[in-house]
Amino acid sequence: MLGWAVLRSMVRLRVSSREILNQIHIMGVQSIPIVLVTAVLAGIVTSQQGGYQFTGTIPLYVMGSVVVESVVLELGPVLTAVVLVGRIGARITAELGTMKVSEQMDALYSVGRDPVAMLATPRIIAGVIVVPILTAMAVIVGIIAGQISAQLTLGLGWEAFFYGARLFWHNWDMVYSLTKAVVFGLAIPVISIHMGFRTKGGAAGVGRTTTASVMFMTLTILILDALFPPLLLQ
Amino acid sequence: MIRFRRIHKAFDEPVLTGVDLVVREGEMFGLFGPSGTGKSVLLKTTIGLIVPDRGDVLLDGESVYFGDPGFLDRVRRRIGYVFQHAALFDSMSVFENVCMGIAEDDLRRMKRKEACGRAWEALELVNLEPRQVLNKLPAELSGGMKKRVGIARAIVGRPDILLWDEPTTGLDPVNTAAVERLIDRLSGELEVTSMIVTHDIEGGLIMCDRVAMLSAGTLQFCGTPEDFRKSTDPVVRAFADRAGAEAALDNQLKVI
Repeated sequence: MLGWAVLRSMVRLRVSSREILNQIHIMGVQSIPIVLVTAVLAGIVTSQQGGYQFTGTIPLYVMGSVVVESVVLELGPVLTAVVLVGRIGARITAELGTMKVSEQMDALYSVGRDPVAMLATPRIIAGVIVVPILTAMAVIVGIIAGQISAQLTLGLGWEAFFYGARLFWHNWDMVYSLTKAVVFGLAIPVISIHMGFRTKGGAAGVGRTTTASVMFMTLTILILDALFPPLLLQ
Repeated sequence: MIRFRRIHKAFDEPVLTGVDLVVREGEMFGLFGPSGTGKSVLLKTTIGLIVPDRGDVLLDGESVYFGDPGFLDRVRRRIGYVFQHAALFDSMSVFENVCMGIAEDDLRRMKRKEACGRAWEALELVNLEPRQVLNKLPAELSGGMKKRVGIARAIVGRPDILLWDEPTTGLDPVNTAAVERLIDRLSGELEVTSMIVTHDIEGGLIMCDRVAMLSAGTLQFCGTPEDFRKSTDPVVRAFADRAGAEAALDNQLKVI
């Protein structure tokens, strides 16, 4: 039902471009710091663990491949999505849920406005745009952090690091990563909006629905993540 | 004219069970009743905020639920709805809130100056100083001011019907009297049909041309305020006496 209403509002051009830009700012620009911090830490941890396991057993330049492939295929899109579940998804559910229980949603209907066109569609469009961009940024920053960490702790220079990275690199990997990001970018706002729209029961209801929404979004991200390899990496 | 025809609505339990009611054109109609008897539910069925399980609402003879699918949209443009707790949009300024009451297509055609003029005029009609409140957010307003902004939003679209859902709930006696005077004045000045759900029986009896009382989901009484005062129906009497005593106590507590 929500998907149909969103499509109808897009076809009828009932969506405010100003609101889409506003949502891109809130969901995208304001999320950059937390996404980048997470990506830096993910890159460092991958590099450190790789170093611990490979030293003395496998040529260290393989580290480049491990860090790059881990960040591109898995950590970049999944960690970004999980961070955004908390940063964006919870916010959307709580915001729309509060509007629902305080009759603001009814007020929109009463003045002849379509809450889906006003509230849902801009958030979904913004999600599909910003999550891949944030994922691409996280991937780049995560790789750089991993390389710097490898250099500082293992003495692995950037030439050796990227030599190793190229050995196992496929261009498809980046397409795979961004495809995941687009799907996650769709799933987070769709689930959070759906939960927000069905909130009831006052302030306690908003709390309950937001918690359920975060759990549901996180599980959905992880399940979708598990479905991607058999579908796109065969 | 609004005609409610055999309205049935149940949530977990039945709330309305076959309510028949007519609100005549140009009159101010009051709806009383104990809490939980479906007054607000009945009001909300008028503009499709709650869809009845059975029955229909007719506006000037045209069915809201069984007629032209686009009719509900047109109905919403003709009706101004004042919510119990104002239901202002938190993230919008007073100006944006009031402008939401203007039909979307009209608002797109309007220049900002014209929209500003309409909002200004509506705020003045509800006794607010536009210069002081126009750029404020709802969180910066008092309860009484929020109600007035909610009323301004309902009237800015120049509706011919106004629906008031407990507009004085939560206000102190001074603000209650002020809002009631405002409702009375606006209904006269704007020449609209008004339907008001209220717990303030005395205020309602003074303002309204006709009143009705719901009890346990059915229509218990419908007539003039004079008939209501003289009614010997034990249910009506019990409600009126209890409501009067509660109002007196409430007023005393608020003064203390």
